[in-house]
Amino acid sequence: MKKFQQRLRPWLVKYLALPSDVIMELPRITIIGQLHVYIENHKGLAVFSDNELRLKTTKGYIQIKGSSFVLKMMLPEEILLEGKITDVRFIPG
Amino acid sequence: MKQIQGTFIKGYVRIVVTGHMPEMFFQSCVSNGITVWDIKRESSKSCSGNIKLADVSKVKQLRRKYEYKISFKERRGYPFIFHRFIRRKEFVLSFIMSILLIIFMSNIIWKVEITGELPLELEEKIVKQLNEYGVHPGAWIFSIDPPGKIQQKLTEDIPELLWVGVNQKGTTYQLEGVEKIIVQEEKVAGPRNLVATKKGVIKRMYVAKGLPKVKINDYVEPGKVLVSGNLNEVEQSNEEEDEEKPKKQVLVPAEGEIIASTWYEVDVTIPLKQRYEHLTGQQEKKYYFGIKNFKLPIWGFGKPEFEEIHYDSLETPIKFLKWDLPFSIVEQTLSEKQIQEIERSKEQAIQAGIKQAREEVQLQLGPDATIISEKVLHESVENGKVKLYLYMTVEENIAKAQPITQGD
Repeated sequence: MKKFQQRLRPWLVKYLALPSDVIMELPRITIIGQLHVYIENHKGLAVFSDNELRLKTTKGYIQIKGSSFVLKMMLPEEILLEGKITDVRFIPG
Repeated sequence: MKQIQGTFIKGYVRIVVTGHMPEMFFQSCVSNGITVWDIKRESSKSCSGNIKLADVSKVKQLRRKYEYKISFKERRGYPFIFHRFIRRKEFVLSFIMSILLIIFMSNIIWKVEITGELPLELEEKIVKQLNEYGVHPGAWIFSIDPPGKIQQKLTEDIPELLWVGVNQKGTTYQLEGVEKIIVQEEKVAGPRNLVATKKGVIKRMYVAKGLPKVKINDYVEPGKVLVSGNLNEVEQSNEEEDEEKPKKQVLVPAEGEIIASTWYEVDVTIPLKQRYEHLTGQQEKKYYFGIKNFKLPIWGFGKPEFEEIHYDSLETPIKFLKWDLPFSIVEQTLSEKQIQEIERSKEQAIQAGIKQAREEVQLQLGPDATIISEKVLHESVENGKVKLYLYMTVEENIAKAQPITQGD
């Protein structure tokens, strides 16, 4: 059953043009220049330090690197990061 | 950012979390519905962030589950500022005192202004009279009567005043007076006739000056000359026939009283049942401190012993500068009243109706007129009321002066 759902979802996205972040429970990342990163649909904080932010997602982690990081706002499924961003990387877990 | 709006008003604190992986504490805060913002890594073992003042107790509960050390660093927002202000007792005290002082001052009369072109002595008299009523600069507004009553009292007590307008404008009492100028009754200086003002039958005549033109028991219409001011008229007309020698007219101001009987038709309606309320004069006073619709008694407790009470309350709002505060001082006068019910038979109602009609006619005509007789022309009973149609005979003076205009 679960496998069927996993197969169904990409199909829904492809043929019915439904937003992929909602259907497939993927994080939506909005980056504004080097200043802000806005991440929705994440599954929780893993690491946070001055120059690294690591967030859990359904499939692995998102790693954001940079310097002088401040979490401007933190809500259950949203996060707004401020700082000087250099990297955004997906790490399969 | 909506979540952290208005946090300054409600207050927020900055907490510092120390321990292994301090960011995980904020993560658990967020999953428990506590909003956290401005999270910063302080060092490898500590992290700081802002939380709402309302969430502090939740954070304290959450701390027990983990082995983190939490310290509160900054307290920001209105509740803390307010708290700091409250702690300074003398500051708060002086603030309250100043407000009380302003309230106190706002309820005092500062000035009594008298306008209108009044002679100085009259103005002084008014001031003196006002002092007697307790209206003077420095008087407490609650202790004096409302402007309407003062106005009434002033016109009664100072006969020289024709009219006085009393107006309370904030802390000033404005008076506008008009002096009564006693005008001598204007005499018709020139020659004049007396003419009838109403139709009637002449009953009595008293002619002081002039030539009567009517006799007793004559019927006159309005405008008819009763007493002529032209003394030579009769002779003139006689002489005109035999010899055409025009005599010089002798004109005098005619004076006199012509009493004639006149008639009036009056309609009156008298109910068969009637309820009267009248005050016995027994009264008690109560004072309340009013907050909007709620009244807190200050003086005068207990119920009076009367059964039927007529309530009369006078509300004086407490002022703050020019505004009325929602508080007021209410003076309530409880007067004993008696309710009387009168039930009349038809005959009694007719009698009462006749009496009422007589009073009405007398009031209309003045005290000089005398009502001779009245007759009920028609009576009917409708809806518990007796309707009367009366015919009244009155004796009154119908003469009115009319100047004689001499044709050039």
